[in-house]
Order: sequence, then C-alpha cells, then structure tokens
Amino acid sequence: MKWLLRLYPARWRERYGEEFGAVLASQRASFGLVLDVIGGAVDAHLYPQIQTSDSKPIKEEDKMTLALFQRCAAGGPKLSPSERRIASRLSISSALVIAALYLVLTKIYREAPAVQAMWWTSFMFSNFIYQQMAYLKKRLWPTQALVLGAGLSAMYLFMLAVLVAARKL
Amino acid sequence: MMRKMKDETELDDFGRFSEPALLILVSLAEGPRHGYSMTEDIEAIASVRLGPGTLYGALARLEARGLIEPLKSEDRRNPYRLTSLGERALRARLDSMMAVARTGQRRLASA
Repeated sequence: MKWLLRLYPARWRERYGEEFGAVLASQRASFGLVLDVIGGAVDAHLYPQIQTSDSKPIKEEDKMTLALFQRCAAGGPKLSPSERRIASRLSISSALVIAALYLVLTKIYREAPAVQAMWWTSFMFSNFIYQQMAYLKKRLWPTQALVLGAGLSAMYLFMLAVLVAARKL
Repeated sequence: MMRKMKDETELDDFGRFSEPALLILVSLAEGPRHGYSMTEDIEAIASVRLGPGTLYGALARLEARGLIEPLKSEDRRNPYRLTSLGERALRARLDSMMAVARTGQRRLASA
C-alpha cells in the first residue's frame, strides 16, 4: 500500500510522508482506503498547503488577482465544492455539445454567418454557465433561463451582425 | 465580538475537510496526539474512521492556518497540539453548534 504515497507531491511527502505511512500501515487494506488516499493525493496537488522556505508570501495585490481569476474562471465567488463540480460538468458537457453542433452545421451550411456567429458565441458560453451558478443560483429556474437565454441571444445576434457586416466590407 | 465572529469562520473554507478538521480539533483538545492516535480517538468519540488521505488533508489545512502545530519527536509519528488560535476556533465552533442544538431541542420539545 505504501506505493500510493508516490501519488503525493514531493514536498508533501517530505513533510508528511513518514507519519502518513505509519497511519496507512495501521489501517486494513480496502477499496475505500485506496480511494481515500487517491482523493488525498489529488487534493494535495490541487491545494498544496505547505509553505516552503523559498516560497514567497502572497501579497495583497496577488490575492486580488487570484480572487479575480477565481471569479472569472474557476467557479465564481462563494461556490461550494459540489457547486463547482456541477458547474464544471455543465461547462464541459456544453462545450462538447456546442462543438458537435458546430461540426454538423458546418457540414450542412458551410461557412454561413449564422453558424460562425454560434462558434464565436460559444466562447462565452462556459463563462455564462459559471455566472449562472455563481450569481443566479438562488433565483427561480424561469428567471435563470430568462437571464441566460436573453444574454446568449443578445451575444449571438451581436456576433451575427458583426459577421454579416464583415462580409459586406 | 469581532474576534468571536472571526474565530467562528476559521473552519468555514475547509470544504469537505470541515468535519474531519473539527473532529481533529476535538481530539487534540485533550492533549497532543499523533495521526494514528487521532484516528483511534475520533473513531471512539464519533464512530468515524478517518482514512489517511482525509486525515492529512485536514491536518495540513489546520497547520497551514496555525490552528495546530507539530511537536518535535524522535519517532516518525509526529504529534500535534492545539494552538491558542485553534483553541479559540474550536470553542467558537462548539458554542455555535450548541446554540443550534439547543434551539433544535427546544423547538422539538414545543412541537
């Protein structure tokens, strides 16, 4: 079972490896135990808690940048881990659906502005999904659908207008 | 009052490690313990056996936030103890849980 320790980051192993190994050795091997250790390893990679002597302290402006990144890309403010998972799955599945739809429509309509506008709008789609999870999660479903539908439609129409205008240049 | 409010939120951003972290703090309230001893104690008081991945995920967070600290040991099983910040955070969280429990009990009794 000790080979599972190799899944953890090197710095983490330096700090906790020995005592972790002692606790691991004291527990009966099971599927649940393996999952727990793998989950811990993923967490240690994603959220390293260890401050090393060569790591710089985080400045106030860096914290603001991190917060901004989190709001824009990593799941919005005040999202619970389960909400982040839902948002990520929605985002990934919607990206796959849009990609498939784009391929099919391109095959049929070639480079029609209506198809191209959908492609450009899709760049904002993932962000919209996160916005819905972050800012609209306490609203009723009809309100969420209205805000998302109106936002995406407005963006699509804007891109369509731009592409039609570009063709006339 | 402000201090109490801050202490109460110390465990709030632990995500799925919130409950294990609370159990670890409760276990360390009796005195320093190492990882194996903590899992045994937590199993005895809460009937939950923490896996090593969960235990050290929570320990690393508690240590990074200064709620617990490691003690020097010759043994490879490093013991940990509560810091004063950890003690305050634990006290604040238990007070808050007791207030909720009391309200729940009172409402059930009057239902």
